Amino acid sequence: MVGVALSRWTMSYFATAVLALIAAEGLMLAGIGYPHAAMAAPASLLLVHLVAIGWLSLLMCGALFQFVPVLVNRPLHSNTLPLPTLILLIAGLAALLLGFAQLGGTIQTPFGFFPAAAILLGAGFVLVLWNLGRTLWAARPLPLPARFVVVGLCSLAAAVFLGIIFALVLGGVATKPHLLDVTALGLPIHVIAGLGGWLTFTAFGVSYRLLAMFMLAPELEGRTTRGALYVGSIALAVAIVGGMAAICTSTNVIWPIGAGGILGLLALALYGGDIQHLYRARKRRVIELNSRMAGVALANLAATILLGIALLLAGRFNDHVGVIVFLVAFAWLSGFGLAKLYKIVAFLTWLECYGPVLGKTATPRVQDLVTEPRAQKWFALYFVAVWIAALALLFAMPLLLFRVGVGAMGLATIGIGIQLMRTRRLANVAPALRLPKGTQPPHLLHSSVQPS
Amino acid sequence: MTTSFMDVDVRPTLRAGGEPFGEIMAAIAKLQPGQGLRLLATFEPVPLFHVLGSKGFSHKAKEIGGGDWEVLFSPAAAATPADATPAKPASDTSAWPSPVQEMDNRDLDPPEPMVRILAATEAMANGEVLSALLCREPMFLLPELAKRGHAWRGAFEPDGKTYKILIRVGAAKEAA
Repeated sequence: MVGVALSRWTMSYFATAVLALIAAEGLMLAGIGYPHAAMAAPASLLLVHLVAIGWLSLLMCGALFQFVPVLVNRPLHSNTLPLPTLILLIAGLAALLLGFAQLGGTIQTPFGFFPAAAILLGAGFVLVLWNLGRTLWAARPLPLPARFVVVGLCSLAAAVFLGIIFALVLGGVATKPHLLDVTALGLPIHVIAGLGGWLTFTAFGVSYRLLAMFMLAPELEGRTTRGALYVGSIALAVAIVGGMAAICTSTNVIWPIGAGGILGLLALALYGGDIQHLYRARKRRVIELNSRMAGVALANLAATILLGIALLLAGRFNDHVGVIVFLVAFAWLSGFGLAKLYKIVAFLTWLECYGPVLGKTATPRVQDLVTEPRAQKWFALYFVAVWIAALALLFAMPLLLFRVGVGAMGLATIGIGIQLMRTRRLANVAPALRLPKGTQPPHLLHSSVQPS
Repeated sequence: MTTSFMDVDVRPTLRAGGEPFGEIMAAIAKLQPGQGLRLLATFEPVPLFHVLGSKGFSHKAKEIGGGDWEVLFSPAAAATPADATPAKPASDTSAWPSPVQEMDNRDLDPPEPMVRILAATEAMANGEVLSALLCREPMFLLPELAKRGHAWRGAFEPDGKTYKILIRVGAAKEAA
């Protein structure tokens, strides 16, 4: 038990991730991809992967390199591996986006980008799984939140595995009939494994610990939490493994996905009950901006699920699957991610800069690194903009309204990004307190790891 | 369940400035299966709770007047809670002096517990011990303690909710 050091490269992941989100919002504003093109059009796929890998996955990886060690009380297996991992992931994402641009005929080159994307992204995510997997393996038996992360990482492996098959088939490298079937029918499984298993389920695990920590609420380890873990894991296994089996045996994939969906709803209900309990049982009455905004994102998740159920019952789900994906990506995952980012950047920067001199001299508080009223305006704009864009999609309103919405989302993201930079630069701290003797200004993109 | 207890009085050893750890461990080794240990000491031997806790003993401590303590160590059949972390660093098993300062940081927002603990240790003399109650394991505090040359012992209390840490100022520096 030596405690947890700062993750050296987490800030680089965060910076790249926020830039990818801003870029994706820029593309939507420019009318590239869904809803200006069909959901399965190459331009839409480019957009979706810029968000899912460039923004959400890099954000999640950066956060996990710091917080898996906190969850399991073990140092990260390797604190140097995340940099080559990040380079592989960025290069792989670039190749993937170029591959989609090629697929849509936007660019023409004599060689294909998809095989390169498959290799680079495959290698990058294998390093993520290796590093986090070794850290978790060494810490068995795992506490409950870490088990959610394990299931999330297994889902990541499934999503990447399918993605590699798709890329190799689309790149013309793989031509086996089975693989063609998987590419033709496997898309829903790829989406469930990525958005559902990897991003959402991992966020659940992290949220159990982070919300409890920042709101002084009791750690939940009871029956409902175990229920959410087990039922959710089974739901994902049924949908992903069952779905793959269905494709390989030429059975309709709707059955395993439907069964997984019903179980998934049960898991979501258990998780929702737990989170409500966390907010109610908190000892801290006045909560910080990050917990309030995480609450908005969680409410968005609940509303998205209700909307999905209503659309299913009305038989209109297939017409509106784009709205649901948009809401999951931006109202829930991005909203939650931005909210937690706002706290994590401040906390890690504070710890890096002032940790060494705590008690020796006057130091600012973590909250002195942020100006919540200013950030709150950007968060409010972000969420309202997401709702406007989603309503525009749902009710098939003129696309101009959607573009106004995503334009405002982009503006809000830039605003939040500037706030994060100000935090990292200690710009919100009173100059007299900013750099007491013995402190160093933190670097924007990496953390100096304290020698111990 | 009734448990028979072997009496070990380490007060004379402690008053003579001696080190009772070996004596206690020798007694533990001599216990019959199911037998407990009744320890009499001149302070609440918190570090020992963790050492014996990791050997499967639960404890009940009470002050018996004159600053003396009686601790009943019972062999817990069902062993320790799964999340109880054995005290570290394990290599240092000597008894520590009783804390000169105790703080309850359980209701403070993170990272306030860490701020208070480091502020307190800066004001303490080498060899002095600080005791603090927390609501979780202080993962980011520990590297900072190590860097400053302090030794620590920490574990969850039997309730599984309170984490008690003892910090001995400058002790790691001396050992090195």
